[in-house]
Amino acid sequence: MKKIVLAVLLLGAFAAKAQEVKSDTIKTISIDSLKESIDDHSMKIEGYGERLSAIESDIAKLTKIKISGYAQVQYDMYDIWGAAGHGLVVANSNPPTVITNSFYIRRARVKFTYEALDGVKFVLCPDFAFDKVQLKDAYIVLNDRWLQTFSLTMGQFNRLNYEVEYSSSSREVLERTRMIQTLYPSERELGAKFEANFETKYQLPLKLQLAAFNGNFALGTTANQVRDIDNTKDIMARALYSVKLPSSGLGIDFGAHGYFGKTEILPGTTLTGFTNEDNVAFTPKVGDQLDRSWMGGEIQIYYDILGGAALKGEYISGTISGTTNAIQTNSNFNYNRIRDFNGFYTTFIKNIGTSHQFAVRYDVWDPNTKLSGNEVKTVGDLKYSTWSFAWQYFFDDNVKIVAGYTLPTNEKSTNVGVAGGEYNNRDKTDNVFSLRLQAKF
Amino acid sequence: MKTTKFKIASILLVVMTIGFSFTTLNKITVKGSDTMVILSQKWAEVYMQKNPGAIVQVTGGGSGVGIAALINGSTDIANSSRPMKASEVEKLKARYNTLGVEIPCAKDGLSVYLNKANGVSELTVKQIGLIFAGKITNWKEVGGVDAGIRLYGRESSSGTFVFFKDNVVKTDYSPSCQTLPGTAAIVNAVKKDKFAIGYGGAAYAEGVKDCKVKKDDKTPGVYPTAETIKNKTYPITRYLYMYLKSKPTGETKAFVDWILSPEGQKLIVSVGYFPVK
Repeated sequence: MKKIVLAVLLLGAFAAKAQEVKSDTIKTISIDSLKESIDDHSMKIEGYGERLSAIESDIAKLTKIKISGYAQVQYDMYDIWGAAGHGLVVANSNPPTVITNSFYIRRARVKFTYEALDGVKFVLCPDFAFDKVQLKDAYIVLNDRWLQTFSLTMGQFNRLNYEVEYSSSSREVLERTRMIQTLYPSERELGAKFEANFETKYQLPLKLQLAAFNGNFALGTTANQVRDIDNTKDIMARALYSVKLPSSGLGIDFGAHGYFGKTEILPGTTLTGFTNEDNVAFTPKVGDQLDRSWMGGEIQIYYDILGGAALKGEYISGTISGTTNAIQTNSNFNYNRIRDFNGFYTTFIKNIGTSHQFAVRYDVWDPNTKLSGNEVKTVGDLKYSTWSFAWQYFFDDNVKIVAGYTLPTNEKSTNVGVAGGEYNNRDKTDNVFSLRLQAKF
Repeated sequence: MKTTKFKIASILLVVMTIGFSFTTLNKITVKGSDTMVILSQKWAEVYMQKNPGAIVQVTGGGSGVGIAALINGSTDIANSSRPMKASEVEKLKARYNTLGVEIPCAKDGLSVYLNKANGVSELTVKQIGLIFAGKITNWKEVGGVDAGIRLYGRESSSGTFVFFKDNVVKTDYSPSCQTLPGTAAIVNAVKKDKFAIGYGGAAYAEGVKDCKVKKDDKTPGVYPTAETIKNKTYPITRYLYMYLKSKPTGETKAFVDWILSPEGQKLIVSVGYFPVK
């Protein structure tokens, strides 16, 4: 009996123990709270996900904006002899103050590029000087999405020429040639450009460019450059082709371009003192259009020998015209005249190791091909040949140091006795040494 | 006197040119395509074992990043899963006066990943393009169930992004395409999402299924396999490239030559790609 009672008690105890399902109940409650907590966190994570996708979308918009730019600061030493003595004359100083060296900020530019869609690009590039901000580039590019071959550019952008389009931040020698500075002052123009590039779609390395410009950019007073000053447009065309021989490390780009424009005689122009391309005096009428057109050829050869080397050259020949009317004068061709001209340059560049580069350029600008030597009577008709040397050291990805020396040599004429005899049958002393520091981002 | 000085200067210049040009270090830096990171690391590892004096440092970042590094001089070799763009060649010309040296070093097929539970298993190249362009948005339009298609793709700095865009999508990607950093992330996303589709290297398709790709409506669907990628019957194949600024010299040349040798090419298969030779 006792055994039975003991068994019943034990069973009861087990039963009682077994009823401690409370712990199961507690477990159920824990799982519920855990589930609640997970749900809560899931909702929070979803919330973060939504916020993240909103941030992602904002960042995606920002990635469409690209900001680049560069600054060039330099120290110049002028080996120049003028009427006042050795060096550059300080403007409005009396008696003339001459300086033989100076620090100088050559460029401070920022470029904003916004690619809203695959085929649309907007570019804005202001140039900062210590006393002003100037607009250098402002244009919109529309690319055709279907053939990926054609594009239309409209606004203010570079004229169609190799040396013009080659950024001064990449250029090996310090300045552009005298020829390009005279023909394409300030490099830019206001107009529209149609371009066909057959490389992307058809693997044909041919590029064709056709552009219409106002034709008066960087000519005359700034206010008159905002819009055209006559009703005719200047036309430019350029064709480029590339040959690549990868097995021999050789690449050759060559092309040609033409400029077809006019200089219109505007009311207010002094009509006396004009000479034509044969150096014969004539009197134009208001509304007359003087010829301003030329053709040029270009070649760039790249060769991989002990590192890279390049030989670049360009030849341009044609007719240039200008007036001294302040509305349209070209500071490099400030004369009432029409002239047949030619010019060329050839540049040799050699990379030395990965951080150094040497460059030498010889360029010639003859603004009057029909006169030479003692036949030349004015400074503007003197032929110039210039040697330019430069050594570049690439400090890192963004910074380079350039040392350059420029030696311009002008044609001698006994008939050119202007500006205190600087040009009187002699080569004007006008060499410049520059040490430039460039930062680009 | 002037002539003597000029001669001395010229001789000095020539000596410096040749001297600097042959200056090489034993350390080689390789940067670029994420697709090629594993392959490149494998090459580096084996090469360093065989050449104890050599140091090969490999990093990813994407083909665009690698080529940018090559242009700005911070890498010796740029890995790229797409050919160099004309604009990038122009930058090389401006900085180094060379066209760059292109070395196709492996072949790859781009897989289109689908979730294993997805009823669709075959698509034409055109359909895939329309899907990633956002023109086809529901699986029922390509023979699947009535459910929205979720797109996963690479970041714009990736060569895979560019190659797939140029050769398959042929227009802008749909704005709804979610960009992920790396092919492994895409595979993972597709694995978890029944209605997802992604793309990436054929070597990465683990836990997802490869979509059979048809060149057009009339041709049969083809899986990306060693055979079909090699014989180009699989429509989305590409070369993987190494780019250099100029002809390699010294240790870099030895490394490149070794990669192109039978020994280097043999390693390609072990990481899921295919030799060029």
